[in-house]
This record gives sequence, structure tokens and C-alpha cells, in this order.
Amino acid sequence: MQIEEVLGNRLRVKILKILNQVKELNVSEIARRINANHKTTMKHLKILENEGILYHKRFGRIRLYRFNINSAKARAIQSLMENWDKSEEPAKSFRTTVK
Amino acid sequence: MSANRSVFKDEAKLDINYVPNRLPHREAEMRLLTEFFSFALAAPGKMAQRVLVVGDVGTGKTALSQRFGADITQQAKQRGINLHCIHVNCRQYRGSLFLILHYAVSTFHPTFPKRGFSAEELLNIFLQVLDEQNAHVILVLDELESLIEREGAEPVYKLTRLQEARFGKPQRISLICILKSLKSIEGLDPSTRSTLQSNIIRLEPYSREQLIDILNDRVQLAFKPFTVPEETVNLIAEIARSEGGNARFAIELLWRAGKYADAEDFSYVPPEFVRKAVSSIYAIARKSDLATLTLHEKLLLLGLARFFKENSDRAYASLTEVERTYAVVCEEFGVQPHTHTQLWKYLQMLSALGIIKKSVSSAGQRGRTTLLCLPSIPVKELEKELTTLLEKEVEGG
Ligand SMILES: Nc1ncnc2c1ncn2[C@@H]1O[C@H](COP(=O)(O)OP(=O)(O)OP(=O)(O)O)[C@@H](O)[C@H]1O
Ligand SMILES: [Mg+2]
Repeated sequence: MQIEEVLGNRLRVKILKILNQVKELNVSEIARRINANHKTTMKHLKILENEGILYHKRFGRIRLYRFNINSAKARAIQSLMENWDKSEEPAKSFRTTVK
Repeated sequence: MSANRSVFKDEAKLDINYVPNRLPHREAEMRLLTEFFSFALAAPGKMAQRVLVVGDVGTGKTALSQRFGADITQQAKQRGINLHCIHVNCRQYRGSLFLILHYAVSTFHPTFPKRGFSAEELLNIFLQVLDEQNAHVILVLDELESLIEREGAEPVYKLTRLQEARFGKPQRISLICILKSLKSIEGLDPSTRSTLQSNIIRLEPYSREQLIDILNDRVQLAFKPFTVPEETVNLIAEIARSEGGNARFAIELLWRAGKYADAEDFSYVPPEFVRKAVSSIYAIARKSDLATLTLHEKLLLLGLARFFKENSDRAYASLTEVERTYAVVCEEFGVQPHTHTQLWKYLQMLSALGIIKKSVSSAGQRGRTTLLCLPSIPVKELEKELTTLLEKEVEGG
């Protein structure tokens, strides 16, 4: 899948964001947090897993998903997300010259 | 009161959750634990241990197991052994095996869900987690009574028989079970009970002398130098001894007495603040007790109060000293003092009521003397109350 496809979905980005914050979560908790049903959540988790970005571990009936730290893609996404929320000053000088 | 005038150097060392590096008078018990768990450093996985720690309130069960847990995991780490000590207070988890195991699992997977499986499944999950991480656990079930009360023998049975379904796999979970008394495990099936009972560590209530050592350690850690006189420590130890050798009570008294010293801007902690601390803990309505005393019991007690008021640095008074102040009090109220033998009887009464404490000094220069101690009532309050009562009684009578 191309990057625009993988990251072009709101729910998938939400999943990545949440897992970047809490490290690992089970499926129903992810579903609850992204406000989607189990089936939809599973679909997106599978896509992200196929891309090598996430992986999961089974504990009985519980599946815990987390970032696959061995994947360069996963690390890049994590770094993107960590930098995203850093409050940055808008580029004032640029805006003023444009105006 | 300014912060730098405090008698405390580090109040946190008196916090109930603080675990001191050294536990005076629990050295033998600590060695025993270390022996029981020597395999955990030498050959983890080859066996699982079960140890029962039994003792009354405040005898150091929790402190001992936490100190031990911190020490052994530290040593394991140095040897590259993945050993964890998980301390769970069963009461805090409402005596539920499920919640206890969930806590244990969540030390490895903090966001592990709470729903969707049984305690039984959770136990297998826990083992899976440990297998995956090649981890070994000493699970400390503190206040195990709660778990047994709520779920009976089953959880302990399961926890002691984990290995039966894990043929050939390494052993992962050892247990330290903490109980106040063996009574609560009487209902377990005989084989589970005998598994647990094969390694018992009993913690006896602390003696007065032992409490003094424990207190002195804490004084060193928590107070500025020379702020807590020996007499104060002695009095606290005396009181905590009569409360069943309870170290928690002793440490709490020490802390509260220190707080009173700060509040009243004292540069040290006199025994009187210990009495205040006790009365604040008990908040006993002693007044009704006092009113029921006979005339001479009141006079004698007032004599004792006067003695401690005049000698505020003393925790104990000898019988002779009290007889002297008693005689003065009698004179004051115009009453003929009673004889020594009669006074002895009154002292017995006051002691039986828990108002005073009698102890016999270890043979000093003057041989054995009876020492009297006023543990729980601040002398000023006591004096005021008794004076009011006596004035009414003597004038009215
Ligand atoms: N030998 C000791 N040396 C220093 N401090 C001690 C010692 N024994 C107990 N204490 C302290 O006394 C307090 C009470 O001890 P602890 O909590 O271990 O008692 P416990 O036996 O677990 O009591 P409970 O049955 O009420 O849970 C704690 O603050 C603890 O640090
Ligand atoms: Mg305890």
C-alpha cells in the first residue's frame, strides 16, 4: 500500500496515535477509543499489521496490539506523531511577507 | 513556626509506606527468607517456594517482605536473572483472585484489559507472560485472610499447584503468604495447608527494648540531632509494647509527638507530647473513667500527674517519688494520706483501668523498683480534670 492510502484513513491514524501514546492495547479497547465497531477496527488493525507497522500478541482471547519497533516505517510514524503535537510557533516572518 | 525550626530532618522516613534499609530485630527472619529463596538466585525455574509469614499487627510482616523483595530482586538483577517481586495487598484488591492477578499481569502489561476472561484464564495469561519474558516472580500475598474469606481455599490451591499442568516447563511463581494468624487457613484442604505450613516464619510482638532500637533508628533518620530525648523514646516503646508490640503504633506516636513539638514551637520532643499524641489517637473520653475513681485513687493519680508536670523530661516515676507528691496533694486537700500498702492497691486499680502503667525496673543499683508511667493522658489535662473532681468531692463531702 502506498503511504497516502495507509495514512489517508482517519481511523487508522487515530489507532496509530493512540498506540503511540499508550504503547499497547487490546482490540475492544482500541475500538472503544476510536469509536468504531469491532469488525471495522479489526480491518484497520490488519492493514496496519500487514504493512509491518503494528504487530500483536495473543493472551488467551486477548490480542494486544503495539508498534513493531523493528520496522523503519513504524519508527518514522512514531517520530512524526511525537513531533506533530509539539507546539510550534507559526512562521510569522513568512506570513507577514506574504500579507 | 518556621520551617527551619522543625524538629524533623526528614519526615518522610516516618511515613507508613517507607521501608527502611535495615529492620532491627528481624535479622534472623530475613536470613530465613533468604535461605528459603536461595534457589531463586542459584537456579531459578528449578523450583517454586511457598513461605508463610505470620504475626500480629505491626510486627513487621509487610516491611520484612518488602525489604526482602527489594534486596533479592536487586541481587538477581546483578546476576542477570529476571526476577520480580510483586507485592499485593489482598484486602486492597477486595480479596478477589481476579483483581490480584490482574494487578500482577499489569506490572508487565500496564494496559491489560480487565474484562473478557476468568481468573483461571488470567492465571494462564500470567504464566504465558512470564514464559515469554523468561521472568520469575515472588508473589507476596499480603493480608491473605481477605482472599480466603472471599474465595475460600480455591485460589491458594490453584496457586500452589500451577506446575502440575506445566510439565517440564520452568517454575515461575513462588509465594510469600502473609497472615495475622494461622486460624484463617484452618479451612484449607490439608494438603494445601501443609504445603504452605512447611515454611513458616513467625514474627513475635516486639519487646520494649526492641521497640526502642527500632525507634532509635527512625529518630536518626527522621529527626534533627538531639531533638528526641531518651525518655521520650522509652515512653513510646512502653506504650507500643502495651499495644501488642506494635511497631506501627510506635512510629506513629513518634511522628505525632514530633508534630506537637513543631506546633508548639519546641526545639525538642518531651515525653508530654507523646501523651498528647496517644490521647489524640485514642480520643478516649477518660473523664467518665476518672469520675468513678475513689478519693484516694484520684489523689494518688493527681500526685502522679504533678510529678510528671514538674519533671517534664521524665517518662517514669518511682513509687517513692509518687508517694511524696501524693502526700503533698493530701495536705493540699486536707486529707490524711493512706499507707504504703493501701497505695499499692490503688495503683493496681489504676493500672487495671489502663490509666497508668506499672513496670519493674531491671535490677539497678537500688535493686528492683516499681516504675510508674502515665501513657495516654497529657498531664495538664489530667491535673485539671482531677482538681475539679476533687474540689467538688472534698468540699461537698
Ligand atoms: N524491625 C523493624 N525495624 C524498623 N521498622 C519496622 C520494623 N518492624 C516494623 N517496622 C515498621 O513498623 C510499621 C509497621 O510494620 P508493618 O507494616 O510491616 O507491620 P505488619 O506486620 O505488616 O502489620 P499489619 O498486620 O497491620 O499489616 C512500618 O512502618 C514498618 O516500617
Ligand atoms: Mg502489613
